Formats: sequence, structure tokens, C-alpha cells
Amino acid sequence: MIMTKTIKTDVLVIGGGLSGCMAAINAADHGAKVTIMEKSHTERSGAAGTGNDHFWFYDSDINPQSGWTIPDMVRDISFDGEYGKTKGGLMDQGLLEIIAEGTKECVGNLESWGVQFKYDKIYPWNLQYEVPEGEKRFRIVPQFQSEWDTLNYDGRDIKKRLTEQCLKRGVEIYNRVAGTGLLTKDGKVVGATGVNMRTGEFHVFRAKAVIMATGMDQMRLFKAQSGDWFNSQSPPYITGDGEAMALRAGAEVFVLQAGKTRNAGFQYLRNLSRSSGTATTCYPAGRFVNSEGETMIRHPAVREPLRKRRENVERSIREGKTPFYLDWTDATEEEIRYAEWSYGNEGLCWVILEIMKDLGLDFRKDAFELDLEPAGMLTGGFLALFIDTDCRTNLPGLFACSPVQFAGEVAAPTYAVLGWRSGEKASEYALKASEASLDDLQVRSEEARVTAPLMAEDGLSWQEVNKELNNIMDEYKGYIVGWNLPDEEAKVSRTGLRNCIAQIEELKRVTMKARDSHELVRCNEVMNLMDVGVMMVKAALEPEQYDRGFWFLGKQVDGEPEFRKTPIVIKYPSKEGA
Amino acid sequence: MPPVFNERCIACFKCVEICPGDVLRETPEGPVVAYPDECWHCGACMMDCPTAAIRLNLPPWMRPVAKRVK
Repeated sequence: MIMTKTIKTDVLVIGGGLSGCMAAINAADHGAKVTIMEKSHTERSGAAGTGNDHFWFYDSDINPQSGWTIPDMVRDISFDGEYGKTKGGLMDQGLLEIIAEGTKECVGNLESWGVQFKYDKIYPWNLQYEVPEGEKRFRIVPQFQSEWDTLNYDGRDIKKRLTEQCLKRGVEIYNRVAGTGLLTKDGKVVGATGVNMRTGEFHVFRAKAVIMATGMDQMRLFKAQSGDWFNSQSPPYITGDGEAMALRAGAEVFVLQAGKTRNAGFQYLRNLSRSSGTATTCYPAGRFVNSEGETMIRHPAVREPLRKRRENVERSIREGKTPFYLDWTDATEEEIRYAEWSYGNEGLCWVILEIMKDLGLDFRKDAFELDLEPAGMLTGGFLALFIDTDCRTNLPGLFACSPVQFAGEVAAPTYAVLGWRSGEKASEYALKASEASLDDLQVRSEEARVTAPLMAEDGLSWQEVNKELNNIMDEYKGYIVGWNLPDEEAKVSRTGLRNCIAQIEELKRVTMKARDSHELVRCNEVMNLMDVGVMMVKAALEPEQYDRGFWFLGKQVDGEPEFRKTPIVIKYPSKEGA
Repeated sequence: MPPVFNERCIACFKCVEICPGDVLRETPEGPVVAYPDECWHCGACMMDCPTAAIRLNLPPWMRPVAKRVK
């Protein structure tokens, strides 16, 4: 018999990563009783779990010195910058503006909680700016953007500092409890359920407001490039749980179909960390070279247009000058030390440095092979909650801050600022909301659904079902191939897509068997992935899904999908395009 | 086996507490890797180990491929 625990709170945050912790802290500061439900452990969970070394920000004391404004930043990321150009206009400028405006306060808070952002020593490759005598300065670099607007900092233990601040404010943290479903009453979200990965205990949270902060990915929905689900850039434990919970409750999501990469590139350092290759985490030491040692992109020339880099890469491929390498060997000792410091603060990159010690490798002597990504490679589709600028979803009582529509291409600041904002907004809502009672029947049926794999006498393992889901999603990618290439008309196989839907629906009826509570959570992750996947495929059947300049939104009403589109509001149009 | 524990392990189980993938478990003999296939190789266990008793043993497909330049 599974034990049930019931918890009452004002604001429930599902997911205690960077965004969830920021949300919890600010919700508590606005007077709410706050509870976090976290699948892992808040000290090391989420995409920032083992650190972050770069933080895009705007400082009203620094950036205006070079004439750089917030609208410039918004334009840069959505259109005009080399990164913006790759986004195809799919950016929420309203959110992006809020994020840019919020970064300075966010950095100030993180500093006051013990995360070091300012230094006595800055380097020749950092932005040189004036401060009063004796004051420390930020180490600012140009990263993906066109301006000097990214901080390098000691962010390895950012999650530890955030956990301390949550606990200091009396936030209750339920580690190892995976969110399984939202509870609703009269169309409002009034709580959520979860299951403890170690004890199997079923948790029922009664809350006046819920913030979804489960991370921005659906890992394991598609086949892993290296053939290993757990060899990924983002945590492989971010499995669309929040998106699936939201869909089942009737919340509206934004859907984007699978596409094709338009340019060849090099993304991976043996897959362990995608970020190692492309981020300026290797700034200013790293150089990307082809097999002949010719430079593809030179740091600190991150402002060198990506276009040029693509031309270099594609020419080298045509000429057979591959593989590509990450090569620091030309850098000075001071540059290498800086890059190693920065690298060591960035998630999986710290592991690479440690592994290199064990393998006798050294950035001073060795160049590292990068995996080649061919042009025309199929990428997976995407789905996330759709929020307004107050982080509200269409369901009263449900807010979201990390699985949301595209806002920043700058993950840490996006989720830190949106988390912070959602905490304030959810707290204000919760303090005005009346006490809601739960629907007992809903709670009991949810418990039966969630714990079924533990009760089953026999059945397929989560891995077997996950593999078959991957196969179906692979077929789906094949059926919509070509739609997003500018010189081709959409060619969607409607029969193929309907077959995929039927196959996923059939897979959902298969009995899964969990041998313990850990496997029970993995089974639930796969159940969530199936709900996300089937919605993505259903959306692919809608002709309007392929229109440009719109957000394509969907929700489930009585088990049937309902779709609509809404124009992407452009507050700051491209200067270059004008 | 992804994380490898050496004799410096004092069985404080900090690694088990924080492992993002829930792949470690407490046993009377110390921490063990209960779900080796699900290790992300993020290094959180190694980072938080108070006695430096953990190294990561990467599978072949995750190991960097390098060429000596200098």
C-alpha cells in the first residue's frame, strides 16, 4: 500500500532548479507560504546544477557608456545579432524586454547571497569601464551577442546559494518528489500531486497558486544523437513533466514542429557537453580549427559573424578538411588560466577538466575533436507552456517560468528573471485567492494512474516503452520533412502522421512495470513524454502550424486537441531589415 | 560504472543525497551506483565529495578524442 502525504501551502513551485528557486525566494519575500516539489535535490538540480559561468545582462551604469540600450538588446537577440538571425522571428520580445530589464537586480541579489560576480582584477579581453577608485568590476565579455553584455562569474555553486536562501525564508523543500499531475477545481489550478522517487510515497499538495518550473526540454522524446539518452547537454531528467501536467489540466502550450538544420556545424566535444564547443566558455583562449589547423572562428572574435563561420565550415567540409577541433594551444598562459576558470564554473565543462587530468590531456598541448553536424539534419519538435508577461498561463492559478515560449537565447538570465517575476505574481495571486478544496475523486484517480506501474504484476520496462516512443517520433520527423526549408513547399504525410498518433495512443495503453519507486518515476516520465509527443504530432496535421509570424498554440479540451494561432508581437523591429 | 569510489570514502552519503539522477544508493558498505545506465556524468558527486573519494569513469563514447599539437 502506498502512503499518501498531504501538504497545504500558498504557492507550490514544481521544479527547484534556477528558475524554481528564484520563484520560491521572491514568492516568500512577497508574503506567501512557499513549497518546492523537486525531482532531484535543489543543491545540484537542473541545468544550472553544477554551475553556470556566463550571464547575459544589462547594466544602466555600464552599457549606456557605449550607447547600448535595452531595445538594442531585444533586437539583437530576436533579429539583428548573429544569434537573432537564427531564430526566424520566433521570439517573445515582451518577455525578452522584461528579462533584459530584470538582469541587473537579479545579479545584485545573487551577489548579496554569496555568488561572486565582481573582481579586483579584470583582464585586457574584458570590457574596460570606469568605476570609483577601489571598487571591484565585472568581468564582461561579448558572447553570442553583438555587444559586451555577458558576465563571466563564479557560478559553480549557484544552486547551493539559492537553496540556502530558500531555507532561510522558510520555504519547504520536498526533494526527490517528482511532479505527476495538476489538481483542478472549477477550471482553476488548486494544487498538484507528486511521487517520491526513493520511498514511493504519494504526495498531494493543496496550493492557491502553482508555478511550473520544470525546465525547458523534453529529453528522451527523440533518439539521442550519441545513442545514449543520458549523454546530453541538458539534464536527461528534464522530460517534459511540466508540459505534460499542464496539457492534461487543459493549459495552453506553444508547439513548434521538427525542422532541419540549415547549416553544417560542430556542436559536440564527444557529446558530453555541447556547450563546450559553442559557448564562449573557452573565451578568450579557444579557437575552432579544421583538420589543417585553419581557423574557422577565433576567440576573442565571437563577434565575428556566424555567417562567415558557416562559410568557413562548409568550405572545409567540401574540401575534406575535417574533423574540426577546439584548439587552445596558441593562447597565452594567462588566457588559458582565465578560460579554465570560466570553463570550471560551467556545468559539464568542469567534468571535462577533471576527466582531462585523469586522461593526461591538457588544453596547452592538445586539440579536441568536435563532432560534425551535417546540414539538413533533422531536429526534434518542441512544446512549452505559453505565458503572458506576468508569467500567467490560460488557467487561473497556474504560472510558469521555465518551460515557456522562446524569450531569451540566454538561458540562465531568462529563467532567473522569469522565475523571480513568477514568484511575485503567483504570491500576489495566492494571497488574494480563497481557500480551495480538492476534488477527492480526482486525487484518487490520479494516484491510481501514477502508481499503476508499481502495482502491475508484469509489463514492459520504461526503457522498452521509451525506445518505441523514440521510433515513432523518428517516423514523425520523416513525415513532416521539408516543411521548413525556405525553397520547398510543405510536404506533410497526413496518413503517416495519423499512423504515428495511433501508434502512440496504442503505446499509452501498454502496461508498464516498475520494480521500485525510482523506476516508477522513470515510467511516469515516459508517460509524460507520450502525452507531449502525441500533442506535437497532432499539431503537425494542422496546416496553420507552418505559418510564419505566429505562435501556434494548442490545448486539450475533453481529451481532444484545440488549436489556434496568435501573431508574434514585434515591439522592436529589425533595424537591419528596415 | 560511472562514479568510482576509493578508500578515502567516509560513507557520509553526501553524493547519494544530491545526485541529480538519483542513481546512487546508501548501503552498509558505502554508496553504490544503483542505476549506472542513468548517470548523466555531471560530476555533482565528485564536486561535493568532502574527501575527494570519487572519480568519474566515462564510457568510451563520452571520452574526449584529442590530438597532441604541441
